[in-house]
Amino acid sequence: MSEATPNLREARRMLGKGIVIAGVGETEQGKLEGRGSFQLLAEVTKTTLDDAGITLADVDGMVTAFSFVESTLMHSTTFADYLGMAPGYFASVAVGGATAPLMAVQAALAIDAGLAETVLCVRGDNTRSGISSSGMIAMAREMSHGAYEAPYGLTTIGGYGLLAQRYMYEHNVPQEALAAVVATQSEHAALKWNAMLRDVVSIEDVMNDRWIATPFHAMDCSLVSDGAAAFIVTTADRAKSMRPKPVYITGIGEGYSHQYITSAASVDGVRQGLGRAGRRAMEVAGITPADLDVAEIYDSFSFTPLIALEGIGVCGPGEAGDWVLEGNAKLGSTLPMNTHGGLIRQAHLGAMHHIVEAALQLRGEADDTARGGGNHQVPNAKLAITTGSGGILAATSALVLSSEPPSAA
Amino acid sequence: MSETTKPAYTKPLPDMRPEGDHWWAAMKEHKLLLPTDSSGTPFWYPRALVPGTLEPTQWTEAKGTGTVYTYSIHFIGPSKAYKGDPPHTVALIDLDEGVRLMSNLVKDEEGYPSIDPDDVSIGMKVRVVFHDVTDEITLPKFVAA
Repeated sequence: MSEATPNLREARRMLGKGIVIAGVGETEQGKLEGRGSFQLLAEVTKTTLDDAGITLADVDGMVTAFSFVESTLMHSTTFADYLGMAPGYFASVAVGGATAPLMAVQAALAIDAGLAETVLCVRGDNTRSGISSSGMIAMAREMSHGAYEAPYGLTTIGGYGLLAQRYMYEHNVPQEALAAVVATQSEHAALKWNAMLRDVVSIEDVMNDRWIATPFHAMDCSLVSDGAAAFIVTTADRAKSMRPKPVYITGIGEGYSHQYITSAASVDGVRQGLGRAGRRAMEVAGITPADLDVAEIYDSFSFTPLIALEGIGVCGPGEAGDWVLEGNAKLGSTLPMNTHGGLIRQAHLGAMHHIVEAALQLRGEADDTARGGGNHQVPNAKLAITTGSGGILAATSALVLSSEPPSAA
Repeated sequence: MSETTKPAYTKPLPDMRPEGDHWWAAMKEHKLLLPTDSSGTPFWYPRALVPGTLEPTQWTEAKGTGTVYTYSIHFIGPSKAYKGDPPHTVALIDLDEGVRLMSNLVKDEEGYPSIDPDDVSIGMKVRVVFHDVTDEITLPKFVAA
């Protein structure tokens, strides 16, 4: 391992203590009418505590996110009250799709600082069935500048479309490359017990779907779903008395390019900005992209993983489309990507499911045959990257997860 | 619709903030202003203080000509007000002064209707037109130059 810069040394010192994901949980996903936002969070909390083999009394830290349905300025403590617990450490993280990896980082920092030992990281919402039409419009407008973008009828889909079209123009990337991401992930979602879309679609199916905003057809877009997911972050020592095989957090990183898509300097600026999260996380972990066994890459749209794969160095600039078209992202191939189906085929809960799936892969528990799904386990998976991106490719966070403790740096 | 009655404008209107008042007032006069730093270098979007240096913002008038950096044809709009409309084109436009702003590509001098999707390409030259959407608000739109 190369000589570490001081900030890399600090990150490795913290993670070198053994910070692990010790329990995970997911609810069903889809349209779950009759179950409120906090109810879904509570249900997945129970599932996750059961997975870890602990009770609520063992949890002393609470990291939540936000809700599109339940507006509260104090989300984490509101949920703690709902559960009937008094956490010693609490935080609500809200950076859009970048939130989930940052929740893990927040938990790790709290553990390192001695503020908590066992932190529940939980996110969920009844976005699909609970949101009002004005809430939906507000959510769509959230990504736009209220004065200098929203009046032109920009949608979130179209905002991604702007950068995607420029990317395709600069690198001569065909529409089929976007469709190949969807087709690949549809094969994976078919095996995931709680995926909303379990049918396998072809590149042609995606190409023939209705347009939403160029270059995206409906199937290129992520889903709107009700559901919840959670994971428990604790120390390796504490995890010894918990049920599952611990999954070590060995790398953390963040990357920023812009807030508003109008402010994005260039395709390469966005690629480098969002890629920094994963590059930094791998640098902290002391690994390269070639070491990865599985990649759970934020996929708000079919285009998103392409520029992300290039940003983190799995592919060169403009090469990710061919890489996916050649089948490299499929289960059984070079680097299986979004083995749960992702936001496009499983459900949209930011990057929560990406983390849960990565943890299950590294535990060797990604065979859902017994739950009505199929086997999507990557054989002998030891190293995974998970990313999340907020806004329109604006802010990104990443984790490297490992089945083994971090090596001494 | 008679020519004397303006139809109610139901599309999204801008969030008004004090630091934008000067820009919107000029827009009403059909002038496209750009905020600049003390050396005259423009930036986008209008802010009270120059990003990076935090000096007071100054202003210059843009020529109104530029190039399409990228675009996305929207078949579905952000609200019900777009239902039944033909697709609208959202574009990022590189003005000749060196800043990039968002707008719509349109057919006519009045700032509507939307350009035909087949007529749009990255790199096309465009110029500003002014769309008076309400008595108070004018939006800059762009036509093929």
